[in-house]
Amino acid sequence: MRRGLCVQFLVALVLVAARASAQPANSCLTCHATQQDARIASPAALFSQQDVHRERGFACADCHGGNPAATAKAQAHDAAKGYKGKPTGPQIIATCARCHSDAELMRRFAPKQRVDQATEYATSVHGKRLASGDTNVATCVSCHGAHGIRLVSDAKSPVFPTNVATTCANCHADAKRMAGYKLPDGSPLPTHQLADYQTSVHYNALTKGNDLSAPTCNDCHGNHGAVPPGVGAIANVCGSCHAVFAEKFATSVHKQIFDKGCVECHSNHAVQKPSDAMLGVTGKGICQPCHTAEDKGDKGAAAAETMRTEFEQLKAAIDTSHALIARVKNAGIEVSDQELALREAATKLTLAHTEMHAFEPTLVAPIIADGTKIAAAVDVAGQKGVSELEFRRRGLAWSLAAIVLVVVGLALKVRQIDQRRQKSDV
Amino acid sequence: MLQKTIDWLDERVDLSEIRHFVAEKGVPVHTQKVWYYLGGMTLFLFGVQVATGILLLLYYRPSAAEAYESVQFIVTKVEFGWLIRNIHSWSANLLVALAFAHFFSVFFLKSYRKPRELTWLSGILLLFLMLGFGFSGYLLPWNELSFFATKVGTGSAGAMPIMGHFLLRLLRGGDDVTGATLSRFYGLHVAILPAMATALVAGHLLLVQRQGMSVPLSIEKKLKPGEKLPQMPFFPNYIMRDVLAWYVLIAVLAALAAFYPWELGNKADPFAVVPPGIRPEWYFLAVFYTLKLIPSHILGFEGEKIGVIAFGIVALFLVVVPFLDRKSLRGERSPVFTVLAVLGLVYLVTFTIIGHYAK
Repeated sequence: MRRGLCVQFLVALVLVAARASAQPANSCLTCHATQQDARIASPAALFSQQDVHRERGFACADCHGGNPAATAKAQAHDAAKGYKGKPTGPQIIATCARCHSDAELMRRFAPKQRVDQATEYATSVHGKRLASGDTNVATCVSCHGAHGIRLVSDAKSPVFPTNVATTCANCHADAKRMAGYKLPDGSPLPTHQLADYQTSVHYNALTKGNDLSAPTCNDCHGNHGAVPPGVGAIANVCGSCHAVFAEKFATSVHKQIFDKGCVECHSNHAVQKPSDAMLGVTGKGICQPCHTAEDKGDKGAAAAETMRTEFEQLKAAIDTSHALIARVKNAGIEVSDQELALREAATKLTLAHTEMHAFEPTLVAPIIADGTKIAAAVDVAGQKGVSELEFRRRGLAWSLAAIVLVVVGLALKVRQIDQRRQKSDV
Repeated sequence: MLQKTIDWLDERVDLSEIRHFVAEKGVPVHTQKVWYYLGGMTLFLFGVQVATGILLLLYYRPSAAEAYESVQFIVTKVEFGWLIRNIHSWSANLLVALAFAHFFSVFFLKSYRKPRELTWLSGILLLFLMLGFGFSGYLLPWNELSFFATKVGTGSAGAMPIMGHFLLRLLRGGDDVTGATLSRFYGLHVAILPAMATALVAGHLLLVQRQGMSVPLSIEKKLKPGEKLPQMPFFPNYIMRDVLAWYVLIAVLAALAAFYPWELGNKADPFAVVPPGIRPEWYFLAVFYTLKLIPSHILGFEGEKIGVIAFGIVALFLVVVPFLDRKSLRGERSPVFTVLAVLGLVYLVTFTIIGHYAK
């Protein structure tokens, strides 16, 4: 028995020793962690904390080369052992691509992950400028970080959807860094994209509505292959989410005229919540100055005004019916059918707004007519509800009057029989 | 015509005993006689519940798929269905309120003392049954509020020691509140509880008729030896006053039904997020809020379990109170029990109000 226990102990000891010797020695971390210079110490510290590569068994030498088993700096940083030091510019792309473009290797760690980032990057403005020798542009580490890298799905990652805009703005909102860069049309590259984006419906949906599918920079510009969407491509970019609008717009006369597609009316970074007021040639209408109210023969102006009036009429009809139904509902009459119908009418209004992007009033009119018909039917039901309410209250008044009469009659009768009893008692 | 019918009946079944009972039955007249009306009013509302409940049964369908829609149909499409459903809901609440008022009046007047122990026992069981009616009926419209409140309520029953899990599964018809729970609550609400209540009401009324009205101790003590309280004939003097009170109740119910209709809410969705403000009916609020306040663990024991046991002990105390209150049995004042009743009333009112406003 005791002999058996001793054998088991020795086997366990050998296994532990074997496991300890299997761990690769990493003198990089132990040495760098003790350095006074933060530039040298912090990468090691960051890498030691949460880092997706370290967690999957990668070490400093996998990117920087060198001999992690050596304890002396000269041997550890030996170029003969592949020591590269801190990769810069194109070296960064090559270093990351060594693994991330290797489909066979990546399959072991993240089978679903794409392996064409480096190829895409080469087609981006960043990649092209880097290839031409501009080392000021973004590389992999500019967005993902170099040490302490987190998964894209980690909310603390700089490339998590809610952080992307700020990450891009680290460079793109920096006027000094952007000085000298130009747009394809030759104008200086602006630095107010983030400020504009933060006023948009997309930013609101993403950050306040917690809708992670709402677009941020990379959804329109691409991430690794980031470029400004070119003329003619904008409608496709917006259409990747707003498919029906893009489809309707593709059939419109404006498709031929608007170079910047959707952006002509809705802007790019500062996309605001659209309103009916945008449609038309008066007030806040954005169809002016191309179309004008003064030109009575301007068919576009007339079409815009007609469609806006129809939208406003249907919206007013829905609002009126809503108020009526709410009143009846508050009084206790069941109106779920009417509420459902009003939702249907609101859907018609949305459909009409969508159809409007073809800029053809004859396509909008039948949808508006359907919506108006539904709202009118709800109104009739609402009025019926009001009559029912009046009937109930009248009925209550009459029955209360009858009850009061009976109560008074009973009270008198009780008094009478009480008096009669008292007399008989006497 | 009425006399002819009575005579016709009299020839076939001897009505002399009933006639004698009607002529002889009296109600003592004193300053506290107003409390006598509460029992009659509660009984009247029980009748209203039976009548409106039967009418609702004609259209109600007890399944998770159809219950909500059938109630919706009753209040929108059935002629005067809204009135019947609203009266049933309001009357249920008034009934519980009046049952509590009747219970406290009997407690304060010590009317449970000998020889009325059995009347008290049947009454207290009826009060529990009324709460059972309220609990089971609340789920039947199968709306969001009732669904989640039932989950909480049956969950508390599950905290009972030893038989908690069995009771929870018995009530729910499974581990969770589902269509099976609805079927059980329906059976309970329209068959089991009414059968028990009918038997208990009959027994309670029989005892009241046999023993007559109890005279409060304070009045009884003022009587000189051999002196008797003046009596008022039950028929017609007292019964007409009772009918008058019932008419007032009808007026209140009609006004409530017309001006404060009982909301149906949204259909229950077992997969939906629990909506905010889930709380049981007002008459369970004090218990609900107390259980909420109890820490999760007390001296190593589960807090909720201790709470449920405590309420069980209170219920048991109420059942056996006539046998515990020895002083009133001897015709003496029993201030300890009066103080207990005051404390109970203050606790119920305070915790119900706080529970209503608590988030």
